[in-house]
Amino acid sequence: MYDADVIVIGSGGGGAVAAKELGEVGLKVLVLEAGPFYGNSKWRNPNIERGGEWSSSFDDLDIGTYKRIYSRYENDMNDVVSGAFRFGPADRSRTPWHRVMRQKGDIWQLAGVGGTTQHYWAQSPRAFPSAVDGVWPISYSELIPYYEKAEATLPVQFAPTTPKEELFYYGAKKAGWSLLPTLDVTTPGYRPNPNAILRTNERLMDPNYSMEQLNNMEGCTLQGHCVNGCTSGPTVDKIAKRGTLVSYIPLALKTGNVAIRPNSFTIKIITDRDPKEGLRAAGVRFRDTWTGEVGELTARAVVLAAGCIESPRLWFNSELPYNYWVGRGLTNHCFDWVGGVFDEKDLMSIMGLPAVYPYMGHTSGARVDIPGIGIFQVSCLSPGLMSFLTYGFSEAGYDALNPPEPGAPWNVRGRTVGPALKELMMNYSRTMTYLLLTDDETLARNRVEVDPILKDENGPIPVVHYVPSAKTLQRRDRLARYACETLKLAGAKTIIRSDTPFSFMLHLESTMRMGHVVDTNCEAYQVKRLFIADNSVHYNGIGGPNPTLTTQALATRTSEKLAQLYFS
Amino acid sequence: MNPAVSSPADVYSYTIATYRALAEAIVPITPAMAEYGAEQAAGAVQLHVHEYIIWELDHSLTLVMGFYPEVVPLAYPTAALLNSGASQMIASGNAQFAPSNGTVPHVPFAALSPADRVRTLSRLERLEVDLRALPPPYRNDGGLVKFIVDYLNRAVMFGNYSEWPAYGTTRLETPTRRRLEGFPVGWKQAGYPGVSLGYRALRGYPLTIIREDGGYTIV
Repeated sequence: MYDADVIVIGSGGGGAVAAKELGEVGLKVLVLEAGPFYGNSKWRNPNIERGGEWSSSFDDLDIGTYKRIYSRYENDMNDVVSGAFRFGPADRSRTPWHRVMRQKGDIWQLAGVGGTTQHYWAQSPRAFPSAVDGVWPISYSELIPYYEKAEATLPVQFAPTTPKEELFYYGAKKAGWSLLPTLDVTTPGYRPNPNAILRTNERLMDPNYSMEQLNNMEGCTLQGHCVNGCTSGPTVDKIAKRGTLVSYIPLALKTGNVAIRPNSFTIKIITDRDPKEGLRAAGVRFRDTWTGEVGELTARAVVLAAGCIESPRLWFNSELPYNYWVGRGLTNHCFDWVGGVFDEKDLMSIMGLPAVYPYMGHTSGARVDIPGIGIFQVSCLSPGLMSFLTYGFSEAGYDALNPPEPGAPWNVRGRTVGPALKELMMNYSRTMTYLLLTDDETLARNRVEVDPILKDENGPIPVVHYVPSAKTLQRRDRLARYACETLKLAGAKTIIRSDTPFSFMLHLESTMRMGHVVDTNCEAYQVKRLFIADNSVHYNGIGGPNPTLTTQALATRTSEKLAQLYFS
Repeated sequence: MNPAVSSPADVYSYTIATYRALAEAIVPITPAMAEYGAEQAAGAVQLHVHEYIIWELDHSLTLVMGFYPEVVPLAYPTAALLNSGASQMIASGNAQFAPSNGTVPHVPFAALSPADRVRTLSRLERLEVDLRALPPPYRNDGGLVKFIVDYLNRAVMFGNYSEWPAYGTTRLETPTRRRLEGFPVGWKQAGYPGVSLGYRALRGYPLTIIREDGGYTIV
């Protein structure tokens, strides 16, 4: 007897989708998640005590616990060492789980139900068709029905305009970009972000409703905390920003067929050998992060959705068959980050407002898409995060020691420190910042391995290597020039290019690529009944668009294929 | 190990002096900026951000040593890294010293002028140092040096401009026991109004997806 039909490892952007889709067709699903479950009455103090073991009921979801944890305070929430959002155990008195990275950068991944979608900004664009057709083992049209299903389920909607988007559009139009009223981007242009965020509360502009009332109603309140943890909504399943904790996980629980066990780090995929099928997945071994106890569960199929670092790590640590491509081909959109500081009088003449108000609205509400090069999207954060991303985090070193060449489209390149930093930060509310996402060339040398010596309690730890190609860097530079041009045309007086470290890992993709590690159903070539449903199966970086929706579309498709292959 | 630093009290004062010097170089006290508001004068040291860096570095890494996981504190070895970089800078004959030189013996990083502390960080991240002379775990590991030097910059900024300093007397507690004791100074410096339940900031929708009959249209 098996413990379940399917075990899903990880409950983030992809795993939660697989759990819901498999549960809906009647399969019994167990989900193992390494981090905490926020917003669930089984874990009222999830960062302090172990609490329960499993949650299998929609009625367990608890908005009171959710809003108590989701404080919106950036240090409390986003500190990668000690925040509620980190890649580490639920117990915040302990350290995070370590990954070795011998270069500048950081890895913004989260453990916990909902995974990294707890802090993602909910951008949900489709892949650029040109990055899929003739490149991936499946076509873009094959993905479309699954995109549509994921978009309707989340749901995805074009972002509203707040002051920063208005200013962004002003600059984009002046630079000659035209509006793209589409989800399938084949030509360059600007558009509001397709975001997995509920439409703005219709009463938001009605002064008869207090903010307290509005925050407990359905619909986005433009509170500006997508990255810090959204709290707009009356119940967990109606929170405005649709990370999987509040979208697919509630739907999974509603099926009555899904049970979720947080605080459970999967340390091994168990296999057996079937005379007909050969090597196949048969279960998992996991470790309780509070007690250290090790348990095993069996199932007729396993869905691996631990993310682009942990999925290959688990393959290695489970001693699954050698495959050159396991862990290889890592892409990351080789980000950059630019900012423009505006004068009050210019903002008054453009918008009739004295500031950019970077803390209002969706964290990111608008973009310019340039197939073949990448994307730049207006992206504004709370001051602690903004300060370091704009002024403290750079491949280029210190601006003062190596100022930009005359005629460069930016006034500052690299870190700013000392009195100059303080003066720039005084202008925070008049500063608009953009995240740049590069169409990143896929290279075998960029990879995740496990360290031959270093271990944590879950086994040998991952090592991440990432050095972009010359082509990627050329595209990134072009993107920075386009982005800074729109800032200048919008009237920015000081333009900053941070030259973000290449290994600022936000959009990891393609470490278990379709066509190399998994087949077109996303089943591992070498281990039957083992399916992968996270960003790692992407063949490439999908041309630059934010990857989550593509993972969710694929996870929807993979679940359908899995059910057809083994449970029909 | 620096031979001058032997007792736990010495380690503590050495570490504190190093990170005070770091915080001061990145977010300095600027009395002249008080004309824009009293809070603008405060620097990261006044907000105790050096203690934030120490706390973070000492709570960031656990490895299995032998059979059991152990926390690996990084604040002291990383302070030693900065001081080793500073010693090499001084030995080059190009260093300028802070007016306070002499008040912090055995902490060469703190003896440097703020601008030369930044040059020291720059030399370290560009690996323009003798990697063999660095303390463990940084010795001969240039990648780790680059990572940590970059981290130190952004950690000072995140410490200063996030709400951490407002945790006041609870700032060094485990995160779940910290309590806000006031409005964060760094947020005042930035003109950030604080966390919000919402803003009446809607200015329209350029495009809308309408879903019906299993399909969608964009208007």
